[in-house]
Amino acid sequence: MLVVDDDQALLRALRIGLGALGHEVVVASTGEQGVSQAAVSSPDAVVLDLGLPDLDGLEVCRRIRQWSDVPVIVLSADGTEDRKIAALDGGADDYMTKPFGMGELEARLRVAQRHRTTGRQVAEAKELAVGPLELDLVHHEARMEGRAVELTTREFALLSFLARHAGKICTHRMVLEEVWGPHYGTETDYLRVYVYRLRRKLGDVDGTFLRTHPGVGYQLVADAG
Amino acid sequence: MSAMRRGVRGSVVAVVVMAVLSTAMVPLRSHLSVATTALVLVIPVVAGVVVGGLPAGFFAVAAGFLVYDLVFIPPYYTLEVGASQNWIALIVYVAVMLLVASVVARLERTRIDTHQREVAVRRLFELTDLLIEDRPLAEVLELIVSTVHGAFGLHSVALMLPVDTGLELVAAAGEPLSEHEQRAVVPPPGVPASLRAAAAGDHDDFQTVALAATGRPIGLLRIGGPALNPHDQELLRTFANQLALALERAQLREQALRTELLEEVERLQRTLVRAVSHDLRTPLATIKMAASTLHDDSAAVPPAERVELAALIEEQTDRLDRLVTNLLDVSRMESGALELHAEPIAVVDLVHEALGGRQRLAGDVPVATILDSELPLVEVDHLLIAQVLANLLDNAARFAPPGTTVTVSARPSGPGLVAMAIEDRGPGIPKADRAEVFALFARRGSGGGTGVGLSIARAFLAAHGQDIWIEDAPGGGARFCFTLPVAAIASVVP
Repeated sequence: MLVVDDDQALLRALRIGLGALGHEVVVASTGEQGVSQAAVSSPDAVVLDLGLPDLDGLEVCRRIRQWSDVPVIVLSADGTEDRKIAALDGGADDYMTKPFGMGELEARLRVAQRHRTTGRQVAEAKELAVGPLELDLVHHEARMEGRAVELTTREFALLSFLARHAGKICTHRMVLEEVWGPHYGTETDYLRVYVYRLRRKLGDVDGTFLRTHPGVGYQLVADAG
Repeated sequence: MSAMRRGVRGSVVAVVVMAVLSTAMVPLRSHLSVATTALVLVIPVVAGVVVGGLPAGFFAVAAGFLVYDLVFIPPYYTLEVGASQNWIALIVYVAVMLLVASVVARLERTRIDTHQREVAVRRLFELTDLLIEDRPLAEVLELIVSTVHGAFGLHSVALMLPVDTGLELVAAAGEPLSEHEQRAVVPPPGVPASLRAAAAGDHDDFQTVALAATGRPIGLLRIGGPALNPHDQELLRTFANQLALALERAQLREQALRTELLEEVERLQRTLVRAVSHDLRTPLATIKMAASTLHDDSAAVPPAERVELAALIEEQTDRLDRLVTNLLDVSRMESGALELHAEPIAVVDLVHEALGGRQRLAGDVPVATILDSELPLVEVDHLLIAQVLANLLDNAARFAPPGTTVTVSARPSGPGLVAMAIEDRGPGIPKADRAEVFALFARRGSGGGTGVGLSIARAFLAAHGQDIWIEDAPGGGARFCFTLPVAAIASVVP
């Protein structure tokens, strides 16, 4: 586990807290150190503060992403959406706004880890399973809790994109570019309509499986409920 | 008024010149012909016309007639003319002189007109030059009214610009407009006003000139003074167009500046929100992380680390408390509610108050205190100065590398001052950045806080009339120096 933060106190608290849960913790207090530690100690996950003194946290995230698929959870002090979206677009898997508790951090780390393992399998997979959802990527068939769900081509594309990145928050831009095409990115209204239809077809009325992150994006949650 | 004075001056000149020439010619008059003296007497008439205009010319002709008849046409010193050829000479003299006077007067009039026109045109060009320069709106307005006032020889000039409810007087030169005149130009809503602005007995002519640029109304120029001749009227119209353009430009410039200012304020607010949320939430994150770890039954925390977590919580709570105090101080200063309660106190007490019984600063940084043995009492508000010291120590601790010490020192300095210094062994501050460090919400390099602490330190010292500055600490690092006033009581109590 690699923790990159410039605040010494928070670094100590994180080291003790994560250590107590049985993680081996490596710390770095600058962006440059963070990037080199990520290469040297090949951590299972990176907790990265966006407000670093030398390098912007986003830049650290992008550099790590160039050669590693290690899950990155970013920490930010201001809960503004543009920073979160930029971090997620830059390759981060999840974000947390300060302050956060040990339980929340542990839960997010778990999700990120699982996403990484499934993510490795899905690259060449012909079938996908996320919680109660099963997708046949070859025949474009979807089953929810064993029952077949009729989907249009675009609905299937949207659902399979989220399924391939299950656990990860996919920003509006990522989904639009992937499902609609590279010239899209701001048409969030399309998404709202498609997600509404998908939820109805999947029977996910309360949105716990296909979760909305308002202003940011969507996430398929494997262990919903 | 001035025309009459000019006439009198011309007449006096004519009389003086005539007296001088006549006195010179009297001893020779028996040798001079009547025609010669007449020729010489042309001179005072021309001089009179040039100086005093046509009326003075007429006066000079009359005087010349009398002098010629009395002094140079025999029999001398009587109005009798004698020989008939002398009659002819006298009549020809008067006729020619009247003609000369009128021709010279007309030439002179033209010369003066041309000169005035030149002056006016030059003023117009000067104004155009001035208006091209980048000037604030208020200055442009003053410039316009004073130039118009001077160039056209007016008694009063007033410039009005449209505001929400009507026209507002923004600049004036010369005699101020009476309330009655103002109402005549811009009547208050619903109040009937006479368009005849001039009060009875006032001979001034009043005009209003509308200023418009690119089809948009810009303002109204109201002038009062002697009636303008057609040439000046035309010049004023040209002037008005120039003014309208210049005003519009100045107004647009003002608007652009306002927009820029608003953008800057907005940017500052964003910086502020980001800085404050970072500084408030980071300690909160540490506290929550530590507390939730202590609280989690599944986490196996060794006893030593439980103690460390508890210490972290305490330390970060102090940090939050100081930040909140500082932010409250900022709002107190901004509302002007900062009151100074200065009283004599020992420097060592100030240091103790600032440290609050701690031996070590946040992040486990040790503090060394070096106080001169001859330190006098200082006269300060101990709450404010303790806060200054706490903020400076906090700042030093933040930049102190592990294993180094932060030093507080004080020694007498100069007449009636104690110099204090807080030193760290951190990276130091480049000379170029030293002024900025004290700015509100300036962040300093690695792990920087909001910058609230240092700007408060400076403000509190300024409230005491004291200064704060930064030096290079020997052996690297930053040294924050400031002065405190020595208590007056020290010299009074035996």
